[in-house]
Amino acid sequence: MTQDIPLIAVRGLRVGFHTAGGTVAAVDDVNFSVRAGETLAIVGESGSGKSVMSLSLLRLVPSAITTGEILFRGDDLLTKPAHAMRDFRGGRIGMIFQEPNTSLNPVQTIGDQIVEAIQLHEAVGKAAARARAVEVLELTGIPSPRARMKSYPHELSGGMRQRAMIAMALACRPELLIADEPTTALDVTVQAQILDLMRELKANSGAAIILITHDLGVVAEMADRVAVMYAGRIVEIAPVTDLFDGPEHPYTIGLLSSMPSIDGDSETLTPIEGSMPDPLALPAGCRFQPRCPFAIKRCAMEAPPLETVRPGHLSACWRAPLLETLTRGGQQ
Amino acid sequence: MSTDTTALQTANTAGASRPHLLRHLARDPLALIALIFLVLIVVAAILAPVLAPFDPYDTNLRMRLRPPGGDHLLGTDTQGRDLLTRLLYGARTTLALGFASIVVGSLIGTSIGLAAAFYRRLEGPLMRLVDILLSFPSILFGLALAAMLGVGMDSLVIALGLSAAPPIARVARATAASVMQAEYMDAGRVIGLSDSALIRRYLLRNCAAPIVVYCSLQFGETILLAAALGFLGLGLQPPTAELGSIAAEGRSFIFLAPHVSTAASLLIFMIVLSCNLLGDAFRDLTDPKLQR
Repeated sequence: MTQDIPLIAVRGLRVGFHTAGGTVAAVDDVNFSVRAGETLAIVGESGSGKSVMSLSLLRLVPSAITTGEILFRGDDLLTKPAHAMRDFRGGRIGMIFQEPNTSLNPVQTIGDQIVEAIQLHEAVGKAAARARAVEVLELTGIPSPRARMKSYPHELSGGMRQRAMIAMALACRPELLIADEPTTALDVTVQAQILDLMRELKANSGAAIILITHDLGVVAEMADRVAVMYAGRIVEIAPVTDLFDGPEHPYTIGLLSSMPSIDGDSETLTPIEGSMPDPLALPAGCRFQPRCPFAIKRCAMEAPPLETVRPGHLSACWRAPLLETLTRGGQQ
Repeated sequence: MSTDTTALQTANTAGASRPHLLRHLARDPLALIALIFLVLIVVAAILAPVLAPFDPYDTNLRMRLRPPGGDHLLGTDTQGRDLLTRLLYGARTTLALGFASIVVGSLIGTSIGLAAAFYRRLEGPLMRLVDILLSFPSILFGLALAAMLGVGMDSLVIALGLSAAPPIARVARATAASVMQAEYMDAGRVIGLSDSALIRRYLLRNCAAPIVVYCSLQFGETILLAAALGFLGLGLQPPTAELGSIAAEGRSFIFLAPHVSTAASLLIFMIVLSCNLLGDAFRDLTDPKLQR
């Protein structure tokens, strides 16, 4: 039963920016929840708002107007005073960034940075913090962790740096780990190692993961559930196998068919026509409708709500369930 | 174990391949001469009480304005004091004044610049203030401040520091603004660092190099300003030896005894030139675009 209480629940999250052309909502009315120990992948093109959303979970987008609710174990993070947020950042919620090359402080040793992170959240002495830092570095599979403690970021390879980032994020045993494209900047072989490492660490620590990515291969390998974002909104959310087997949103179908597969026919690789709408001039109704092969008149008039198509599978499409629509269309 | 040693070796070579200040200076003879001259002057100024052949305040009206030579290597000044002694003590005062002022100026300027870059809301007001201060010529600004704050080492250091601060604030803000874009600033926030820790350990330490280089360039400027204020009578009051006021004292007798003003002015000129040459070398050293 306890599994049904979400670790983090996001309700009606909206992140807006003031620009010269007007207010732009990078994230618009997003709802989702993650249970303890679960991995939720958030996929979407660049500009779909997934990175802004992940940063806004920790209130790290200073110039934005953020509204809605972010309930972490029932506590609304958005109503917390600024100093209280610091206990969550790095303590109960860890975060890994896309670019390991630029996300470590270049003038501090790896060890000092991890020790600092530990001492910020746990009342331990320097020696205990150092011991713990060596321990987490070892967990991430860095060879000779004791020597690496004294290394500066520029002395390590990209994969090593990402391991160090992960060590830093895990140093305080967070309940939730937000990983923003953790493998995008790495070599393919290193990517696989880092994903293995994350899976292993998750199994050991029981932390939940929110994995931001545009790589559906990574999603298939890592996620329990998947949320697909398009133009600031979640258009589909479903368990991973259900999503890959029976996508219920035309955009998801587009994403899946634009992914090359080793056994598939390369000619079936079909890109999605058109491009993301200008956030200042969003189309009326469904935001995907101008690019959608399934679009009907209603799509241009009313925005479809995110509704249950099958148990656990939600889609924001007037034409879902799509299989039925297709067969019905075939009969006509 | 083998991975350890190889890693250490790569770390060592990485450290060794970094451009070294002295090696760079060896390729830049002008800067090297400037460095040697500055070191000599600084050592001589520090050791002035030991090195100086006479007492800097010992007046002897019968020995006024003696030309160089004899007992008095550089001659004597309007009060019959030994000029070499006066210059040594003067350099001591002027260099100390310049150094204290650049320290004060860099503290103020760096604080303003970093605050403007870190708190975007403060950027407008702070940097417009800096622009207003920059629109006054620094000599005018220093003059006004020195006149306002009155005479004395403290107020002089504040006046000189305040006039050095605006350009330092600009450089600090520009450098810090680009550091703010770096992902590690977000990463630092993500581990739960407070604003002050982020500013001190992440922002300041990553912009320190360009700011220090700029301050070294500003050092010569500040010394020139200090000497100018002394020359105009707004510096330290007589009988304190100060290069600017020594030059001013000799001015009335420039035809009768040119050595007083000339020696003092030449010394100011050499110190400022050396500072600038050395500052340029520092800048070249840290600017990757100018390397080899």
